[in-house]
Amino acid sequence: MSDDRKALISLRNVKKVYRTRDTELEALGDVSFDVFPGEFVSVVGPSGCGKTTLLKILAGLLPHSSGEIVVESENFDIEREVGFVFQKPLLLHWRKVLDNVLLPIEILKINRKSMVGRARELLSLVGLDGFEDRYPNELSGGMQQRVSIARALIHDPKLLLMDEPFGALDAITRERLNMELLHIWEETKKTILFVTHGINEAVFLSDRVIVLTARPSRMAASLDIDLPRPRSQEVRTDPAFGRYALEIYKGLEIT
Amino acid sequence: MSAKGRLEREYLRSQHEDSPMSGTARLARGLLPKLLYAAIVIALWQTAIVVLELKEFLVPSPLAVFNALFSPETAAQYQWWTHIGTTLGEILAAFVFTAVFGFVLALLITWSDIVRGIAMPVIAVFNSLPKIALAPLFLIWFGYGFTANVTIAILVAFFPVVLNTTTGLDDVDEDLLDLVRYLHASKLQVFLKIRIPMSLPYVVSGLKISATLSVVGAIVGEFVASSQGLGFLIKDSQAMMNTPPMFASLILISCIGLGLFAAIAALEKIFMPWNRSPAEGGSR
Repeated sequence: MSDDRKALISLRNVKKVYRTRDTELEALGDVSFDVFPGEFVSVVGPSGCGKTTLLKILAGLLPHSSGEIVVESENFDIEREVGFVFQKPLLLHWRKVLDNVLLPIEILKINRKSMVGRARELLSLVGLDGFEDRYPNELSGGMQQRVSIARALIHDPKLLLMDEPFGALDAITRERLNMELLHIWEETKKTILFVTHGINEAVFLSDRVIVLTARPSRMAASLDIDLPRPRSQEVRTDPAFGRYALEIYKGLEIT
Repeated sequence: MSAKGRLEREYLRSQHEDSPMSGTARLARGLLPKLLYAAIVIALWQTAIVVLELKEFLVPSPLAVFNALFSPETAAQYQWWTHIGTTLGEILAAFVFTAVFGFVLALLITWSDIVRGIAMPVIAVFNSLPKIALAPLFLIWFGYGFTANVTIAILVAFFPVVLNTTTGLDDVDEDLLDLVRYLHASKLQVFLKIRIPMSLPYVVSGLKISATLSVVGAIVGEFVASSQGLGFLIKDSQAMMNTPPMFASLILISCIGLGLFAAIAALEKIFMPWNRSPAEGGSR
């Protein structure tokens, strides 16, 4: 993306080391990249390369061991304006769908009534209108994950962190949700940082793909994906699509 | 997208349509087999007495038990309502006390490590004691009657509620905690939004154990130190080998126990509706 704009956040040599009495485990080693407003950035890497750790650090769930995370944009409050979609839907089974979506509103002590309309709109955006009064155990896995996306968007965060959100779903549901995610991204103009180990998924969705190597993880590549938007399945037949995927395979040393 | 959404919705709706069986039909299906079962047991009971020629001072006939309960003359003699009132009062007092204070103590234990450090060893010691063995001591401390019996019942029934609820409050998926922590939830919010609702199934199973043990505690208390209550009546009748009121008391005691269970199950349905919906035709 253009460098004349200010980055939303900038990671500079961010590291995470777990220390026990006599060993050190490097969960995330020296990662540096910028995320610009409105960008869709994917982080691809093998299991255990620290992708989830990276998101948790950005969400304030884990402290990083060294390096800096700089918020460059003046009007971005990283304490309140982050939404997190986890690997599992993590819905509260005692709350109806609508009340699950409104959970962040209650935690952030925002007036609930004023947000009910927004919650309904978001449920409609993720294709779940009419399901407001269902309990989570009445929904399929894919539908549960859609609820969790609506929940992550309810407090209108600028940055959406997504940790392999469709990893546990079957391949067809996953493809479908990827299409819907692009639609949601285009509608809401969020900045998305998307963690995955799906190489084609990353190319298909992203403006930029960050490739991490296995532990001790290093940044192997940062690829700008210059494919036309809005994207449809035809983009997969674009020769450039294959070349980007190949670059990622190389970065991951799968040859 | 919307077409697929509609499809999924219709699919789920069809699965969640209420069953066409009417309320009375459902009741009959639940109640009839039970009544039949009871009738068979009573018939077998009567047959055994006739065939084995059992004497009434060993085992009374169903009719003798029925008479002890319902014939005006004996009913007056045994003063059922007084005894039922006493025992039920003790049981309810013990049960409500253990439910409320057991829950509160569990909250304090999970809230504060200091409280946990102080309370858990005491609970471990008391829980390993045969609490009933303390009954004679309570007789000395609290004298004859209601207070001593309730205290014994509380002591017997209290710890399962505390331990169950504590386990429930502790046993929360770390990921679920992350879900609210990244939004900077306060400790109070974590308890109110996540831990307490998560613990409810454990609370209910604790209450069910406590209900049973409250009955045990109250009856044992009456054995040791009482001039009233169904436990007292059993002991008193035993001295005269008068078995019909003993059997009648046992039936009444089990009715009280079952009633408490039913009350807990009803509360469960009211306060935990999400537990009910899958059983009524859920998709998984």
